[in-house]
Amino acid sequence: MRKVIGVLLAIALVTGVALVAHRPGPAGAQGGGTIEATVTYAGTPVVEKLKVNKDTEKCGTEAMIEKVVVGPNKGLANAVVSVPSAKGAAKAVKTTVDQHGCKFVPHVTAMTPGELDLKNSDDILHNIHTYSTANPSINKAQPKFKKMMTEKFEKPEFVKLTCDVHSWMLGWVAVMPNPFFGVTDAGGNAKIENVPPGKYAVEAWHETLGKQTKEVEVKAGQSTKVAIEMKK
Amino acid sequence: MSPAGVGGRLARGVTLVASIVFASPALVAAQAGNAMAGKALYELRCVGCHGEKGDGKGPAAELVVPKPRDFTTGLYKIRTSANKAPTDQDLFRIITDGMPGTSMPSWAVLPDKERWNLVAYVKAFAADKFKEAPKKLELPKDVASSGESIKRGKEMFEAIECHKCHGTEGRGDGPSRAELKDEWGHPIAPANLTKRWTFRGGASRTEIATRLAAGVLGTPMPAFIDSVEKPEDIWHLTNYILSLGPDSPGYATLVTVTAVSDAIPDDPSADFWKKLTPNNIPLLGQVIVDPRNFNPSVDLVSVRAVYNDKEIAFHLTWDDPTQSTADPGKKLFADAISLQFPPQPTPGVERPYFLMGDASDAVYLLRWENGKGVTESTANGPTKIAAIQGAEATGKAVYANGQYRLVMKRPLVSKSETRPTFAPMVFMPVAFQAWDGGAGESGTRMSLTSWYYLRLEEPQSGRRFVIPPVVAILTLAVMLLVVRVANRRA
Repeated sequence: MRKVIGVLLAIALVTGVALVAHRPGPAGAQGGGTIEATVTYAGTPVVEKLKVNKDTEKCGTEAMIEKVVVGPNKGLANAVVSVPSAKGAAKAVKTTVDQHGCKFVPHVTAMTPGELDLKNSDDILHNIHTYSTANPSINKAQPKFKKMMTEKFEKPEFVKLTCDVHSWMLGWVAVMPNPFFGVTDAGGNAKIENVPPGKYAVEAWHETLGKQTKEVEVKAGQSTKVAIEMKK
Repeated sequence: MSPAGVGGRLARGVTLVASIVFASPALVAAQAGNAMAGKALYELRCVGCHGEKGDGKGPAAELVVPKPRDFTTGLYKIRTSANKAPTDQDLFRIITDGMPGTSMPSWAVLPDKERWNLVAYVKAFAADKFKEAPKKLELPKDVASSGESIKRGKEMFEAIECHKCHGTEGRGDGPSRAELKDEWGHPIAPANLTKRWTFRGGASRTEIATRLAAGVLGTPMPAFIDSVEKPEDIWHLTNYILSLGPDSPGYATLVTVTAVSDAIPDDPSADFWKKLTPNNIPLLGQVIVDPRNFNPSVDLVSVRAVYNDKEIAFHLTWDDPTQSTADPGKKLFADAISLQFPPQPTPGVERPYFLMGDASDAVYLLRWENGKGVTESTANGPTKIAAIQGAEATGKAVYANGQYRLVMKRPLVSKSETRPTFAPMVFMPVAFQAWDGGAGESGTRMSLTSWYYLRLEEPQSGRRFVIPPVVAILTLAVMLLVVRVANRRA
């Protein structure tokens, strides 16, 4: 009897160690390269303005619908830069979109498939109304007392977020197939770290300007710069 | 096998069968339709609005509001399921009963089997959307209506801010109204909760609670099942919504003008008017002369009318989601309403043409317009209107929470032949017209009625309070006299 237990224990130990040893490490954590992307747009910014007729103490008196935000040196904000063909498992990172000042903050949220926290810090009614094809679309009320809701986005796609109560509210959730992505800042810059070395097509997506790609070669421990220009 | 085992299995089997038969009545009633047979029927009955491809773009689509359903998306407003796909029973019910307040009629005239065939064909336009079987929506435990429940419902109505779209008193006049769009980008109006006979998916308690819980797909109406404080709040809200208006409009067939002896108040908000029973009159779009109005805004006017020995007064109440005055720059027009009479009471059944008269027979219009007040005019057709000089009529209107209330007054007896004189006990033809300027209505783009009759009640006098007691006292006196005489004789 004791022998049997001993053998079983040994098998269990070996299997355990083998499993641990074979578990793929965090993708490209060591020896990965960095992509420093700059997305530019030569056209004019598109910002629509709307007079607000309700909730002005939270939303202000004028709403801005920022469709194309261009910063200094033609840098395009709110573009999602990604490396769709890179191999790497998605890490579960808690992502949150806040409804604050009757705006979705951030305007563009990128995440790997999983849960998204939707926060309402406005103390007024909003409704989360999503437009999507791969993921089920949602239209759920989020009254002032419901500070947090969690929704699942399991399939990669760009999901539009709207609020019917405040028609100017517009946001995007980029559900990405792998963890190699970044959202451009006001200067049009985004950094993607720990990308496994190799040749890739880097993709930039913008809600109104569509997609552009550019070939890059990522080398271990090095930073690769890539400039992508969006066209109308 | 032990007898207990057999018994247990048998019991489980029975439970299973029972649960299939009883747990889901929708499944039992549902029939598998034949999509091919449905296609022929669809092409005969449905293509006009819903289009050959089922995309809601039939030849009549541009004339109707709300737009016909686009079946290719598989999105349906009315469903009793918790997921997106409606049940077959849901589709069958809408085909059978139609959708109040829309152009979708009831197809109950078709045999059941044909309606099931239509269900099968309509589903085939978005077959992939029906792959996932509908899950039954579980509503919280029903809470019967009570004063307390209605109060809680009102609290919740305010806390979840239903008024943003539906308005403070539920007339669909909330501040977000103008911004609302459906999934296809068409403007969409929030429901007027005080007129539940126009609710698209029915006005029963369960139907209202289901809409609240699951939302209305393809529209801005979100699901609230997880967004109320406690699940049973869905029922408190339902009870509150049911308290906002009557079951049915109870349309009048005759407008009765009540006789009063006192002065008639000018203020439309005066308590005096609340004590009178309204005569509810339905209005329809003007579709006879161009430009026509296929989707009228004002569909009901409540008329309270009184007269005394000097004047006649009309108190009109109607819903209009926006208070608008004429603004040519924004293509907005003034809200207006008018009462139409023949210039003189007509003997027999002869009446002028109901659409504001014609070349040979004029009508008299008593009209109120926002920003302009009351005017009187003679019309020989909807585009031939001439003001009558020397105004005799006055009026005052108030607007609050998506509703106008108006009092128009006029002397009972007119000095000129262009205006009618009102006399008790005479059946006087009357018709109504209304314009929602905020919805772009003006001129012939109006809602209207055909001729109705108005009748002034028999004049009341103080005699009805005097004669019966006098008769009673006299009768008593005679009886006492008879008794006394009889006693004396004995």
